[in-house]
Amino acid sequence: MRLLFIIIFLLTLQVSSGQNTNRINVTVSPIVKSKDNSSPSNTDSIAITNLKFYLTKFSLTKSQETVWQEENSSHLIDIANPKSLDFALNLSKNIDFDAIHFLLGTDSLTNVSGVMGGDLDPTKGMYWAWNSGYINFKLEGENNTVPFEFHLGGYAPPFQTVQKIKLKTDSKNNITIELDVLKFLKQLDLTTQKKIMSPGKEAQQLAIMLSTLFSIRE
Amino acid sequence: MNKNTVIVFLSLFAFFGLAMYFPYTPTPVKIEHPKYWPNPVYNFEKNPLTKEGIRLGRKLFYDPILSKDSTISCSSCHLSYTAFTHVDHSLSHGINDSIGTRNSPSLMNLAWHSSFMWDGAVNHLDVQALAPITHPAEMDEDLNNVIRKLKNTQGYSRMFYKAFNDSSITGEHLLKAISQFELTLISCNSKYDSVMRKASTFTLQEENGYQIYQKNCASCHSEPLFTNNQFEKNGLPTDPLLNDFGRYNITKDPTDSLKFKVPTLRNIEFSFPYMHDGRFKNLSQVFKHYTSNTSNSILLSSNEKVDLTAFLLTLTDKHFLFNKKHSFPRELFYPQNKLKK
Repeated sequence: MRLLFIIIFLLTLQVSSGQNTNRINVTVSPIVKSKDNSSPSNTDSIAITNLKFYLTKFSLTKSQETVWQEENSSHLIDIANPKSLDFALNLSKNIDFDAIHFLLGTDSLTNVSGVMGGDLDPTKGMYWAWNSGYINFKLEGENNTVPFEFHLGGYAPPFQTVQKIKLKTDSKNNITIELDVLKFLKQLDLTTQKKIMSPGKEAQQLAIMLSTLFSIRE
Repeated sequence: MNKNTVIVFLSLFAFFGLAMYFPYTPTPVKIEHPKYWPNPVYNFEKNPLTKEGIRLGRKLFYDPILSKDSTISCSSCHLSYTAFTHVDHSLSHGINDSIGTRNSPSLMNLAWHSSFMWDGAVNHLDVQALAPITHPAEMDEDLNNVIRKLKNTQGYSRMFYKAFNDSSITGEHLLKAISQFELTLISCNSKYDSVMRKASTFTLQEENGYQIYQKNCASCHSEPLFTNNQFEKNGLPTDPLLNDFGRYNITKDPTDSLKFKVPTLRNIEFSFPYMHDGRFKNLSQVFKHYTSNTSNSILLSSNEKVDLTAFLLTLTDKHFLFNKKHSFPRELFYPQNKLKK
């Protein structure tokens, strides 16, 4: 019996010893509902049913210099899966930084390197079978019961959709990244533009628009 | 808690601990290719071939479980005895007798291909199978559903574990296994190859045909793989029913309109019908097209056509076509029959 406790004790020790590194908890918070409920706005009629996107290649910089990069950095953010909204960046030591960088979407190398696992596994529903490449950003819903579907992707020039994002932050432990999806939809005319399912100029324009809607919640 | 429980716990702990340190090691397989071939473009480091992986891939290739109603397998349109194409069908058939818009291409020497499908829609061998699996006129299935079915089928978890050291079936491993089998489909033992290896010689007629080929065909169907892997316009008029603009559909570049991927000439004797929509049933129809319909048509006398045909027949690789390692793996589907024999 005593032996059993020793084993359990040793096992716990092993698990906790792995936590000696510095962790930054990242929370991704897409804004999909109007914060101000009292005043009616033109987004009240919008219902979002599906929102999934890739955030990849996380890195930290101090005075423009890269001080840390995440290895195999791919995070599929899925609003229907709350677990995917929170993840940790594991730094080997305490690193001083003033900005966080990442890509909205997957880089071109990822798109031409064949099948991948984890968040990049094609079972995640973010891969185009009939025109190879990842869907970087997927947003589906209804506006006044009229459905809209935006599947933004494409890696081949001239219609690349991946976007570089840089956000200044002093926070050392918890970073909350906001993406104002509602503002994005407000900027579109959903009566005429309601469906994008393939790479092209339109997908690229919308991806650029999205890249300006990220911010750090203080 | 008594002593026995502790012992059971300890032995379980020891078992899993050991299993973690001594994982199953699949047997590596190295594929060979002739010295006069270029290096493959496929990155084998990311998907090292193993005996177990190839075995799993071969079973998946022949298993109709990949389709929605379990009627269509990869081999339905890619038959081993006909250079892995759908012989005698201009347009390939899929689920519920639906007909696609293209003639299924032959499968061989895929490690040397940088793009797949007639329009190059697919950029890597590993993701090629996704297209037919999900296409409504082919297998009409969802990848997650395929995995669900495989998990419920006896034997597959074990095969995945042996191939990838992971019994949980993932999309990545499923597709990598299919690639592994397909990568073994190498055709390099035709008469042409033995002539290149100086192990035999062309007949006078074949030699004459070889000269004609080099002069007129080799810029697109280049040696030694007999394709330049590029997209070319060969002057075929569009079929108004199919309205297929080929490469343009992918790049949206007007200069790519009506360009299709150059198919290999290897095993051409068996890969009929020809062209992306299978409109030509035999070589004489193909010759007729190239000698009369295109803007820069080729001039060939009837004797020259015969000689060219003789050369093209030297690209037939019986060793490849009738290789038992490529055909339906009976023992993987009916293991009990093996005992009866």
